[in-house]
Amino acid sequence: MHRRTFLRELLSAAAATVSLAVPLPSAAVTASQRFLRPPGAAPEADFAALCIRCGQCAEVCPNRCINFFGGELGVAKLDTPYIVPREQACILCMKCGEVCPTDALRAIPRELDAILAGVRMGTARVDESLCLSYQGKTCGVCYRACPLQDVAIRAGRLEQPIVSAEHCVGCGLCERSCIQMPQAIRVIPDQQRASTRQVAA
Amino acid sequence: MTTPSRTFLLRRHLNKLRWLSLGLVFAMLLLLPMLSVYQNYAAAHAYDLLSADEKAFYDLMHGLTAPFTADPAEDLDAIKGTTWAGRFFGYKIGDPLSAVGQLAAGGALYWPLLFAVLIPTLASLLFGRFFCGWICPASFLYELNTGLGVWLDRIGLRPGRRRLDRRLKYLVLAVGLGLSAATGTVLFAAIYPPAVVGRELYYAIALNGFGTGAVFFAATVLFDLLVARRGFCRYLCAGGALYSLLGRYRLLRIQRVPASCNDCTKCNVACEFGLDPMRDGFGQECNNCTACIAACPTDALEFRITWHDQPYQGPGHLGRRYRRQPGGDTPERPADGGEG
Repeated sequence: MHRRTFLRELLSAAAATVSLAVPLPSAAVTASQRFLRPPGAAPEADFAALCIRCGQCAEVCPNRCINFFGGELGVAKLDTPYIVPREQACILCMKCGEVCPTDALRAIPRELDAILAGVRMGTARVDESLCLSYQGKTCGVCYRACPLQDVAIRAGRLEQPIVSAEHCVGCGLCERSCIQMPQAIRVIPDQQRASTRQVAA
Repeated sequence: MTTPSRTFLLRRHLNKLRWLSLGLVFAMLLLLPMLSVYQNYAAAHAYDLLSADEKAFYDLMHGLTAPFTADPAEDLDAIKGTTWAGRFFGYKIGDPLSAVGQLAAGGALYWPLLFAVLIPTLASLLFGRFFCGWICPASFLYELNTGLGVWLDRIGLRPGRRRLDRRLKYLVLAVGLGLSAATGTVLFAAIYPPAVVGRELYYAIALNGFGTGAVFFAATVLFDLLVARRGFCRYLCAGGALYSLLGRYRLLRIQRVPASCNDCTKCNVACEFGLDPMRDGFGQECNNCTACIAACPTDALEFRITWHDQPYQGPGHLGRRYRRQPGGDTPERPADGGEG
């Protein structure tokens, strides 16, 4: 083979590979950034380097709450798992961390103390102007949906939800259950957690 | 002529055994997502809510798994995942490229992942690129694609027959590692066909349909068809490059027996990786797929336990060239063979 032909083919093959590997930008503007990672997830800053995109977390999820990004948020999030609680929230069965082959999702036993200590998906926040209980109509649905009842959410007068930011793990079952539209209680993802890698290194 | 011996017959069937293995792996990748859906239905006690089609699907899955488990939602978690990363009765098993990719992306390796890739890595040290020929679900589709190319050729549409430099894939591996480190992302997951195929089959069957990876995979299939036969595996696959490096000093090799060879070139035509078995040109790229053994009409290729290839042993003793000039041929591989 002539060197020139070879170089041309090498270049064209490389160009084809690069154009396939790098998705088009710009879609990030329209895609929602308000998503949760599955329970036990590493800090967002480390996640892309740890997750090998095997998809097993969703495969074992009995509640089908885990979905995967396409290219809409860029290549770093491509094929990584996410949860949008309004669609389907996490029931804290902790199977995904158990099956995860990497440290992207840590294995956490399904016990109250371990979950309180290890799971930080986000924190629920109540919009009192939307919440029925705060408007004088006793509701209490989110309080009853919470798997950490009386720990993460306590019920006040007229079953007004009172979230303990310290104990809420952000599973999203309250947001999923809220009968208001838009939801009066929503989980704000905990994506600002600092990378643990520098601390460890 | 030597009469075909019994071992000859057994050896010939290795290629069929390989197709069986490829087919089983691919069938598992189709079955596991279905089982996952079935588990979801079972966990949700959803049978009465299902449509007629879904009920038929549920009944089928129930029939398949009922002999083995009374609690599908829990017990079927024992086998999960794909060839990229999976779980098999408590043992997690993964592709060596996933560990290498994670190491490059994060600068650190999660050590249980090292355990997961241990067996595949050791097997590659012994058997070379066997994953590519015997297990890889993308290989299964690519080889069928080669067959499609043969059919297209018959009706006058000639598939691509270009030869690039097979060292290109080591460049892809190196650049991939560099980009992974620069972006802090395990990029190989997006450009490594077996990972893509396993994941996309799962997306298609159990989630919302094919994702971006399917577009990538379709492009590689077209590349194979229009540019070079098995071009992606030969020239561009980063995992293939890693397996080739691991298998450089593999212990199980196919070697030629010149005394039985008649220089018919059938092995070279059969070789999916464009190697040169007829002139002892195997190298680290050989994936022990046994297609050349199955194609050989004179039983001149066999497995041997050795850590290096034979240098060119001269023309086959049953061939015309050797009979004209017995022993007089300089044992040097012709310059045109073996490359690309």
